[in-house]
Amino acid sequence: MAEVRLENVTKSFGKLTVIPDISLTVPDKSFTVLVGPSGCGKSTLLRLIAGLERPTSGTIRIGGDDVTDDEPSKRGISMVFQSYALYPHMSVARNIDFGLRISNMPTEEREKRLAEAARILALEDYLDRKPSELSGGQRQRVAIGRSIVRNPKVFLFDEPLSNLDAALRTQMRVELAELHHSIDSTMIYVTHDQVEAMTLADQIVVMNKGRIEQIGSPMDLYDTPASVFVAGFIGSPKMNLLPGKALGRPDIATVGIRPEDLEVTENDGWDTKARVVETLGSDTIAYVRVEDVGEMTVRLPGHIRLKDGDRLKLRADPERQHHFDEDGRRIERTDV
Amino acid sequence: MSDTTLPPDRRQAFSDRVRRAATNGRLTAGLILLPPALILFTLFVILPLGESGLYAFYDWNGYGAPQDFVGLRNFEQMFGHSVFSIAVWNTVKIILISLLIQMPLALLLALLIYRKTPTNAVFRLIFFVPYIMAEVAAGLIWSFVFDGNYGVTASIATTLGIERFFVLADRELAFYAVMVVIVWKYFGFHMMIYIAALQGVPDDQIEAAQIEGASRPQIVRHVQVPHIKPAIAVSAFFAIIGALQVFDVIIPLTNGGPSNQTHTIVTYLYEFGLTRLRIGYGSAVGVVLFIVAVLVAVFYQRIFMKKGTA
Repeated sequence: MAEVRLENVTKSFGKLTVIPDISLTVPDKSFTVLVGPSGCGKSTLLRLIAGLERPTSGTIRIGGDDVTDDEPSKRGISMVFQSYALYPHMSVARNIDFGLRISNMPTEEREKRLAEAARILALEDYLDRKPSELSGGQRQRVAIGRSIVRNPKVFLFDEPLSNLDAALRTQMRVELAELHHSIDSTMIYVTHDQVEAMTLADQIVVMNKGRIEQIGSPMDLYDTPASVFVAGFIGSPKMNLLPGKALGRPDIATVGIRPEDLEVTENDGWDTKARVVETLGSDTIAYVRVEDVGEMTVRLPGHIRLKDGDRLKLRADPERQHHFDEDGRRIERTDV
Repeated sequence: MSDTTLPPDRRQAFSDRVRRAATNGRLTAGLILLPPALILFTLFVILPLGESGLYAFYDWNGYGAPQDFVGLRNFEQMFGHSVFSIAVWNTVKIILISLLIQMPLALLLALLIYRKTPTNAVFRLIFFVPYIMAEVAAGLIWSFVFDGNYGVTASIATTLGIERFFVLADRELAFYAVMVVIVWKYFGFHMMIYIAALQGVPDDQIEAAQIEGASRPQIVRHVQVPHIKPAIAVSAFFAIIGALQVFDVIIPLTNGGPSNQTHTIVTYLYEFGLTRLRIGYGSAVGVVLFIVAVLVAVFYQRIFMKKGTA
């Protein structure tokens, strides 16, 4: 069992408090994604779990053991870095089995693990190459291979796909999902890309300013965002957040309407004018202005053809609206 | 090779390059900027080198024009002179001490203080002070340290109640003292090269090694040193070339003595060539030193500083 538990963990760098107080449980064998904007403390949290930073206070447990003061190598974790952190002077094989070599693992076992990792990651033909002779995706696979051979209890990923181009990122995302299914370990993954979070995670932890905004499954977060921040962060294009007063609801501070929950109507609805239209093929995204309400984004089926300047009437399904109070917290619909 | 001997495609490429250089201003920049440097280099490096090569075949005291052509006699005398052998051996010893003691010491200190912290900045400055100090001043300071009458060694001898000793006057010890001063004077320079290189090693590679269970020495051996190999190659190159040129630390310390035991090739040239007004002989020593330095530079660059390693 390799549940990861953080109990009242805080982290300060001098006078700057990056993580005020966090408690979090990452279930065994889950794929948990820490997501949030730059500087929200998600990478610091990952480094605390890895042991690369020591918490100012609080306890970190992995598999039930208190590892707060343990060295990184004693925690049963492995980590894949954003920059891959491959050793440029070593071959792919040496990069992958470096940790096994320095731990004096018997050659036979070492070679077995290396071969297995190379097979899983389709790196058999590249074992003698140097990292500089590999593509970005291959380098990323080597970095993952280095993690796999150690049979860790917990895999940590620090924005591992952010250096890849869009096509490769999609491919690697699929490979990571497959990897999680095949090795069935606990994985904690940091990203600022909500698409990665939505597609990979069993559990998403949304962070903002060192605090956890919401924890839940991807669809929980999408369907019932607990705050304006989560509502705006999860979903692409982002949710339209409009003042309640402008919509005739002075009792609600903010009304959230997802772009896909707006529909074009013939008669009733807001009279809008498309400022910019993006035709994506499968979808048509229109950025519109509604008089006395504000800017809105609309996601329409791809077959609806619009051009900049077109006028259209829009209506929002009242059942699909999200309501938030003055503090930005969700108002459950039964409370309204 | 004249332009007409070039194959047509290369001739075309050459003329294209010239045309490009003429239109993008590089040719003009070259024509304006190159002559001053070229004239100065010719006047103060090429011509003296050529003249030195010429004087090496004359017995000449520096006055008037050299007339007494002696062929290779200066070279024969030099290679037969026992003090020259001592000077060459001492130079070799300085090279060895630089490579085997000075550079590892510099690397060790660099590993201790390469991270950017206020404390490390203070230590960096302290360790770098000997290098920025004038060689003559350093030599004088250390001659006081080694002074058996009034220096630090005198105080040590008095404190320990032992007979006073004169390190710089001792045929056996004097050159060790010189080597101590050389290591002290120049380790800071090599340390700075290593510090700059170590700061360029990505932190995440070190952290990756930590996670994999590498100890501090293993991280140094397997991650940091391989990363800074180019810097080590450059540092060793400077150490060797610097050792061939050691002069101004030795003059105030021992002036080559006692009994000519602490001469290097350059102090030998100065003592037996310049101060004795044997300019032809000194030129012969200079020519040998120049050839050795060029050979070292060429072979070192070819072997250790190939493209990709430096």
